Amino acid sequence: MHVDLQGPWSPLLGRLTLGAIPYTNPILIGTFIFAATIALIVVGTVLYFRKLPYLWREWLTTVDHKKIGVMYILVGLVMLFRGFIDGVMMRTQQVLADGPHSAGYLGAAHGYLPPYHFDQVYSAHGTIMLIFAVTPILAGLGNIIVPLQIGARDMAFPYLNAVSLWLTVAGAALVMVSLFVGDFSNAAWVGLMPLAELPYNPGVGVDYWMWALQIASIGTTFNAINIIVTIVKMRAPGMGWFRLPVFTWTMLSTNIIGLTAFPVLTVALALLGADRYLGTHFFTAGLGGNFMLYIDLFWIWGHPEVYFLMLPAFGVFSEVIPTFSEKPLFGYITMVAATFAIAGIGWSVWAHHFFTMGLAPNSIAFFSAATMLVGIPTGVKAFNWLFTMYRGRLTITTPMLWSITGIVLLLVGGLTGMMLSAPAIDYTVHNSVFVVAHFHCMVLAISAGIFSAVVYWWPKVFGFKLDERNGLAFYWAFVIGSVLVFVPMFGLGLAGETRRLDYLYDPQWMPLLIAEEVGIGFYFLSVLFFLRMLYVSLRDRVPAKGDAWETGRTLEWMTHTPVPFYNFAVTPQVHSRDELAWRRANGLEEAKPDRYVPIHMPSNTGVPVIIGLLAAAFGFGLIWRIWWLSGVSLLAIMVLVIIRSFNKNEGYILTAAEIEAMENKIETASVIAEQPKRLPLSEVEAH
Amino acid sequence: MATMTKAGPDTRLWNPEADEHDSISARTFGFWLYMLSDALIFTGLFASYAVLSTPMNLAGGPGPAQVVNITEGFWQTLLILGSVLSYSLASVALKAGNKGGVALGIVVAMGFAAAFLGFGLHDLGGLMAAGNGPDRSAYLSMFFTLIATHGLHMIFGLLWMLVMLVQIARFGFTADVVARLLNLRMFWQFQATVWVLIYAYVYLMGAY
Amino acid sequence: MNLRFLRYFGLCAPLLMLGGCSTDVFRLFHPTGPVADAEYRYTLILVGVMMLIILPTLALTIIFPLRYRKARKAAYAPDWSHSLGIEIAAWGVPFLITAVLIYYSFNGIYAVNPYNPKILDSAASTATAPLKVDVISTDWQWLFIYPDQHIATIDDLVVPAGRRVDLRLTSTSVMNAFYIPQVAAMMDAMPAMYTKDAFLVNKPGTFTGFSGEFSGAGFSWMHFATRVVPTADFENWVNQVQASPKQLDYTAFQKLAQPTVNIGAKPSYFSHVAPGLFDKVVQAAMHGVVYNVPDSLTKGVADDEGKAGAKAPAHS
Repeated sequence: MHVDLQGPWSPLLGRLTLGAIPYTNPILIGTFIFAATIALIVVGTVLYFRKLPYLWREWLTTVDHKKIGVMYILVGLVMLFRGFIDGVMMRTQQVLADGPHSAGYLGAAHGYLPPYHFDQVYSAHGTIMLIFAVTPILAGLGNIIVPLQIGARDMAFPYLNAVSLWLTVAGAALVMVSLFVGDFSNAAWVGLMPLAELPYNPGVGVDYWMWALQIASIGTTFNAINIIVTIVKMRAPGMGWFRLPVFTWTMLSTNIIGLTAFPVLTVALALLGADRYLGTHFFTAGLGGNFMLYIDLFWIWGHPEVYFLMLPAFGVFSEVIPTFSEKPLFGYITMVAATFAIAGIGWSVWAHHFFTMGLAPNSIAFFSAATMLVGIPTGVKAFNWLFTMYRGRLTITTPMLWSITGIVLLLVGGLTGMMLSAPAIDYTVHNSVFVVAHFHCMVLAISAGIFSAVVYWWPKVFGFKLDERNGLAFYWAFVIGSVLVFVPMFGLGLAGETRRLDYLYDPQWMPLLIAEEVGIGFYFLSVLFFLRMLYVSLRDRVPAKGDAWETGRTLEWMTHTPVPFYNFAVTPQVHSRDELAWRRANGLEEAKPDRYVPIHMPSNTGVPVIIGLLAAAFGFGLIWRIWWLSGVSLLAIMVLVIIRSFNKNEGYILTAAEIEAMENKIETASVIAEQPKRLPLSEVEAH
Repeated sequence: MATMTKAGPDTRLWNPEADEHDSISARTFGFWLYMLSDALIFTGLFASYAVLSTPMNLAGGPGPAQVVNITEGFWQTLLILGSVLSYSLASVALKAGNKGGVALGIVVAMGFAAAFLGFGLHDLGGLMAAGNGPDRSAYLSMFFTLIATHGLHMIFGLLWMLVMLVQIARFGFTADVVARLLNLRMFWQFQATVWVLIYAYVYLMGAY
Repeated sequence: MNLRFLRYFGLCAPLLMLGGCSTDVFRLFHPTGPVADAEYRYTLILVGVMMLIILPTLALTIIFPLRYRKARKAAYAPDWSHSLGIEIAAWGVPFLITAVLIYYSFNGIYAVNPYNPKILDSAASTATAPLKVDVISTDWQWLFIYPDQHIATIDDLVVPAGRRVDLRLTSTSVMNAFYIPQVAAMMDAMPAMYTKDAFLVNKPGTFTGFSGEFSGAGFSWMHFATRVVPTADFENWVNQVQASPKQLDYTAFQKLAQPTVNIGAKPSYFSHVAPGLFDKVVQAAMHGVVYNVPDSLTKGVADDEGKAGAKAPAHS
């Protein structure tokens, strides 16, 4: 069990030495100063306004699904920005390093990023965008919206929900730490094998990637369990399966994918870990190892993961379009069927990621056909959205614009995806930037879903709408940026530019690269407009109604805006697929409960956030091979979990009188308001 | 819309009784889902085992026929089934509310499990002493990992049983304790099932 | 079937504008032999078939939101959410289109199968035996071995025009992908095993090959010249290389396979290549021979590279 490590190792600090801190790299010093300034401002503000106790009591220890969702989305947005900056760096490097005559700066032969730095940047970009930006944002949306849409008080397991969040944060934190302590992986977000093995990657980069992913994916699996149980067990009375809102359907299907796909990733990463830490030979080229096994395992997870991200976006379109068309969703049943068809077919297409690996033609034929079949339910969805708009009464708000844009992106991404699923075409553009442009179309469709959802549901959580004017500016800057970046990228793919190049061979690519760089400028503008949108909306805070868009159709719009921490004062009885639309049709939309009953609420707990901290320490210890740190952290987690199992966590009771008082003055009950301290159940009984 | 019925004067819009959810049933369902994901981890490992047990993956080292110890495996299978049996008897005692019976059943189950792990460690130790450790070949890497993953599940189960012994003594059969005991029973049968699959697929099919 | 005029439509149009009204830069629009021709033809057919559904859908996506805006007071059917006819069409039309696509996709698989492209069977030039080339990707160079000519080159692939070329590909260390955009199907080169690829180029020309799969610090410099020359010139070239002083046996190969960033992809030539070298490299990788990339190199490439850049800022 001998592992050949390059470089020094000490029992106290493992492989960690002063040399791991990149204090000589001007780019990273700049980044550090930027990050430190932001951190100082945030911490300073919190301390100055003495909000630390509030932060701890109301957020860090919360088990409220809405607050957890908000934190998920916040983490996702921060990581989205980090991933965006990585994208900016890559584009800038490529435009500077095109052709043999391009100049070199900062010690690089061409451009300003030497290969080892560029490779980390693109690996981080992919990992962050998919796993630490889009996944948490969608998990956050699911967290906030699903219990509201099904009329539940909270998730089935509020405490586990908090654990999921903090495990995801722990993974994201490890990725961020890799900026300033050591390196990140240079083996792409997929973990190219055998490149990610020790002989070719002796540093800690792959370990950062591996443990960050591993820890976060445990959180995602827990979250999947939680959402499935919530949907199956916690629906309001009257909400049969075919009255479930489509967003909730997609969250159900997506989390079934999550629950079943993520274990496969766990296996792939664990076996890679065994190779790197115990000297086994799973994915080595020699001694019987089979690195194609890793590629299979990775994509058996990886392709369903794509639909794991895609389906919630479909769900968002299916909520937003009917609301702003003032019509029910066209073809509800086939929409649900199409959702599950996509989720199902998603399992049998993974080999299309490696048609060039010399598979037998007959296997290729199977995977090619299976991949093309995905086009059928996706096409159905597009038609259903279109016919939802048909003979509707459309209000073109920003969420609606984003959703329509999502459909367009889906068409372009689908067209190019179908091209790639035909091997005869794939052989010419596989691993070229054509593929990169294709899947960015898909991810942009997901982003469109996300931005649509954020604007659409924002008032529900915070009580005021986002500024529409700046929202439009954000939208247009983002759309123009996307066109300018990705249309030329399709072109570059057809010009034969392969992926992941830090130096480009062909000076003729320059015009397209410059167009992309201009697009990046527009993206930058869109970030500024996004921030301005947040600033203006926060400054003005125009109160929104319970049914903020006035044409809402589903349960979440039936409770107050901002939504109180107990969601519904009394659980609604459901009579229709679009309950609020039904009540509106019957003139009942203003109906209030005539009596209140006590509500049993879970208590906050600090255990999840501490588990998250310990998980990060556990990962950090393993990355740097500081065995004592990992051992102590793991032991501490186990002890903590056992101790907690001895706690009788009964929560507390909101009395009917308290609820009535809060219902009449809803700001006091909103998610962001500070809640009065309540006695735990056992002490209430003792009094 | 077909579901569009008219609201009448006695249409009920709010349902205050809806709050009483059955927490044990939600927890059991959640635990089933967890086991589903765990089963997929083993599925991944079994699939990897299938891929990595061809002659190519031996790298000149021993293959399944030389590595597995069928007789020891047989005794191990009996031990693990005995452990499940005694935990099941503990569940019978749980129905009767018999604290002592439950504790006894769990202790015996733990004893059987410990003996099983002793056999397993002896087995793997012997292989390593002969120079056939997990770094010898991809096949052995896979064999060790599969056995060790199952072993880790057993150790986790043992720790859980230990905690439950203390909790039964301290709290008696509260809803929490009963839910945990029921989930533990499923978990224990799950790991035993995994072992039986390992014995059939790795041991028996490997040896013959 | 000549569908090349289609290049002026659809996807290509905006690209043409950006590319300065010349399609030269878009290598894939200029296939050079039967395999690449077929691939290009399938691209046009599939895109064309898909346009039958994509364009109308795109049109509806733009028309409906404009047509049914609230302000326009168009027909409004507040409860309409089901129509059997539309549902059948929504499933049926994509189904039909997909069936057609699958048909063409299946055809394409066997026509351009890199291991044994059917399209080359029918090519006129099966009279001469294929030229065999064994390709080994190292960290980070391409070694081309001509087993029948007993010569080898680094980063310079020279083949005769009009003759089929059969490639075997392997790698010493990590995965790479062999890729000459308008000439040959992309195919991975992997350690401890070999894959195959085949192509034929009709007319002489010069092309650039790349590695398609990221392989580490020197990956970006893994491009190589591909020169297709008339048969007579090829014979001359072989004779020239056969006279070059450097020879290649396994020991020399082991030195060569050490991680090296070949900035500018400078070619080298070897005469007297040891027979069976390719198989020996495959076997060695199977037995666990690795060419470690030192940690210092994964980081220090920056310094070396900076120096190289300072000394010889460019190559042409």
